Amino acid sequence: MQCKLVPSICSYCGTGCGLLFEVIDGKINSTLPMKTHPVNEGKLCIKGWNLHEHINSFMRLKHPLVKTFGRFIKTDWDEALQVTADRFKEIVAKHGPDSVGMLVSAKITNEENYLAQKFARAVIGTNNVDHCARL
Amino acid sequence: MAGLAAAFGSGAMTNSIADIEDAGCIFVIGSNTTACHPLIARRIFRAKEKGAKLIVADPRNIQLSRFADVAVQHRLGSDVALLNGMMHLIIRNGWQDKDYIAQRTEDYEALEKLLQSYTPEKVKAITGVDPADLENMTELYATHPPASLLYAMGITQHTTGVDNVKSCCNVAMLCGYVGVHGGGVNPLRGQNNVQGACDMGGLPNVYTGYQPVADAEAREKFSTAWGTELPDSPGLTITDMIPAMLEGKLKGLYVIGENPKLSDPDWNHLNHALKELDFLVVQELFLSETAQVADVVLPAASVAEKDGTFTNSERRCMRIHKAIEPVGNALPDWQIIARLSTAMGYQMDYASPEEIFDEMTALTPKSYAGMTYERLGLDGLQWPCPDGQHPGTPYLHKDQFTRGKGKFHAVEYKDPAELPDKEYPYFLTTGRMFAHFHTGTMTRISPHLDVEQTTGYVTINPQDAGSLDIKEGDVLILSSRRGQMEAPAKISGSVEPGTLFLPIHFGENPTNVLTNAEAFDPLAKIPEFKVSAVNIEKLAS
Amino acid sequence: MNDRVKRWLEDGTVDLFLGYKMIMGHPLPHCFVKEKIEEVNDLIIGPARYSLEKIATHIAAVKPDIKIGLLARDCNQRALNVLYIWNQLNPENVRTVNVNCCPSNLKEHGDCSYLEHEAAGSFKRQVGIDNNLQPENIEGYGQSQRLSRWMYEFQKCIKCYGCRNICPVCFCQECSLEHRELVGTGALPPEIPIFHLVRAVHMAGRCIDCGLCEDACPVDIPLRLLYQKVNEIVSDVFDYKTGTGDSQSPFNILGDTVTLEPKPIQLAKTAN
Repeated sequence: MQCKLVPSICSYCGTGCGLLFEVIDGKINSTLPMKTHPVNEGKLCIKGWNLHEHINSFMRLKHPLVKTFGRFIKTDWDEALQVTADRFKEIVAKHGPDSVGMLVSAKITNEENYLAQKFARAVIGTNNVDHCARL
Repeated sequence: MAGLAAAFGSGAMTNSIADIEDAGCIFVIGSNTTACHPLIARRIFRAKEKGAKLIVADPRNIQLSRFADVAVQHRLGSDVALLNGMMHLIIRNGWQDKDYIAQRTEDYEALEKLLQSYTPEKVKAITGVDPADLENMTELYATHPPASLLYAMGITQHTTGVDNVKSCCNVAMLCGYVGVHGGGVNPLRGQNNVQGACDMGGLPNVYTGYQPVADAEAREKFSTAWGTELPDSPGLTITDMIPAMLEGKLKGLYVIGENPKLSDPDWNHLNHALKELDFLVVQELFLSETAQVADVVLPAASVAEKDGTFTNSERRCMRIHKAIEPVGNALPDWQIIARLSTAMGYQMDYASPEEIFDEMTALTPKSYAGMTYERLGLDGLQWPCPDGQHPGTPYLHKDQFTRGKGKFHAVEYKDPAELPDKEYPYFLTTGRMFAHFHTGTMTRISPHLDVEQTTGYVTINPQDAGSLDIKEGDVLILSSRRGQMEAPAKISGSVEPGTLFLPIHFGENPTNVLTNAEAFDPLAKIPEFKVSAVNIEKLAS
Repeated sequence: MNDRVKRWLEDGTVDLFLGYKMIMGHPLPHCFVKEKIEEVNDLIIGPARYSLEKIATHIAAVKPDIKIGLLARDCNQRALNVLYIWNQLNPENVRTVNVNCCPSNLKEHGDCSYLEHEAAGSFKRQVGIDNNLQPENIEGYGQSQRLSRWMYEFQKCIKCYGCRNICPVCFCQECSLEHRELVGTGALPPEIPIFHLVRAVHMAGRCIDCGLCEDACPVDIPLRLLYQKVNEIVSDVFDYKTGTGDSQSPFNILGDTVTLEPKPIQLAKTAN
């Protein structure tokens, strides 16, 4: 039996409420507001209180998928990443780096956004980087 | 954010969330705060209960309106006229802060000249707001310092989005409310890390900390740090990418944690564009509408399955901690990107997100340089935080604007791109409801959220419902120049007669079949989600 | 305290112990175990209060026989008493380290200094209800004003369900607040006053006046006061003081029969 309360930040709106994930045996059992957090002072909205539900959803993607003849086939990381890398390299070689676009995300972390734009600029070689803040 | 940056030099919430409680007056425009930012609404209620005045301007009658000293329902898309009308009255009554204007701002004269014509009568003709209400709200705003102005996508999602934001900045500077505790111009961010995505250079024209890609010195710095040549011309925005796909110029697209198929304007247009791509990769938690049409789908780890940081609306960079292992074979986005990069021949070896964070802060001198995971702790730090001793910045522009002087913009009112006409006689606006989030990929599979609202709907005023013989729950066909969709009717006085409201969360009732992808702000490239013209009929039973 | 917890973990009196630990400047609930016994040195009582007993019920739901130790303030103890009565925890599997939550003279239904509210603002005093008031103060307002003041408070509700979610004695699988026939869905504010009254009714004979609901309410609705009133009626009519001992609640529906016996009528004050 392992039980821990892990501090985190809500990933719904831009308020950034502090919360705790109640983890029992490797599964998040509930979400609690962090009492002493400067943003939300121990309160949450309906979305925050239920943050764990989308994480635990059976609908989560669990394997890389590659579409073959119009249907998704489960695959492993090496293959999915190799296919992706090959296709991108092919497009860049044929049409130039600006024929590739990248949509980074207002949902992933700063570190991941940094890496994503670095990928577009340094690896692909394009400034076609945007995200959906406009939407 | 272009409007804020043009006026102040920094595109972020000027003040802190906790600050709102100390405002003398709170002016909420284009934000349904209790539904979309509930824990910010909390601060508004607390301020109000302590004696602050509350002004609400929203085309809908929202929960906050009930608590307002003055609540106006101005016509959709008429924000600039309303704000200009307020400024006209401020100047007429001599309520402007003359010293502040003289010492801290520039280009005031052009604005003053433009405002002369925005008389309450003219403003009423455009906005529908009664001159007495306009006078009241103006007096409350101008005479209860400091006033905090809050806005959300009701201001930005217009063809005149940048103009709207500039007008918000104008009115706040006119009264000297920018750069003070409890005041400011405060955009509330819709997604948890919009601020961070922008700060990290998730934009076509800038690297981290808004360092321009066109600036040779900045480019040189990043080029050295990353060990490769970098492109010098700004790239395409999301709004420009769609036509580029249709024209066959954009062949490959890598989408991370986004569902543009539901969030972009004009679904049909985008649908078509995505089909033109040679290759689409989607990295997601779920098989979203966009992921379904991808060539490769990469399963990403959720917020609880990784370490890292988010930056909230008030520029506070905060840590998230890994609580559980990723489900199945899912991987954190940073690992996926690093592995893909390595597979493409550019080696990326990071042992942890902290290593990435440290690389980023070293390249982002003005805003993030003073941050480390250790310093962030659980409270986080608000940028700018330029060095290791800096305590972070609760409010911006204290003695000086980021750009030096605050810049007034003389902004003329412009009609929305589309107004109701004979063929499409209703105003349509879109937005969110309290239990769901964005395109619903996260909330609709959450049992306690889904129970609140399981289907899409369209809100219609009782008067319109009466004249069309529509009863609660009747299915309506909504059509615009772009397409048509169906949704059950919800009859409510929260919208004015002649106006309809659609929530954006429901893929089977895709709002953006109706909205206009051609109409967007020329500078910020934000589509006009908030105003379009539609027709309705009842589905024959 | 720390030595006792160490001993309990080492000799197997408990398998785990729920208390608090200071983590990066924040007092957070923490689960102490034998494998990391040295952490017990950092066990603190902590100024912030979480429902440790609710965490305990979640653990017991996964592993019914596990022996749980926990730090218990007066309110935690009352909540535990209710959870024992309602078969949510087995008292034989729970050991507590009792701590005084207030520096001194606890009342029988100990009021916690942690919950002392700041003075209500001018507007709230004028149209709403000051969270520092007692039930008898509200009675002084008269019926119509009382209704309008409560309605003002309820209108702020953002339907977060935080009052229910944080409640140590809310454990129903199906919640009346999510019953469509009772409370409408999809709108803000929720259906008022029904939403709050449905919950208030369910707090009769259940609420142990810990105040965590009010503490979690984003819009400062004086929920504690509402439930205090409900339980005043329970006390008057059924002579039952929730959480004070091991006697069954008058609303107990476990088992075959339902007993809802009021105390002799001559003793009952007329409930408002």
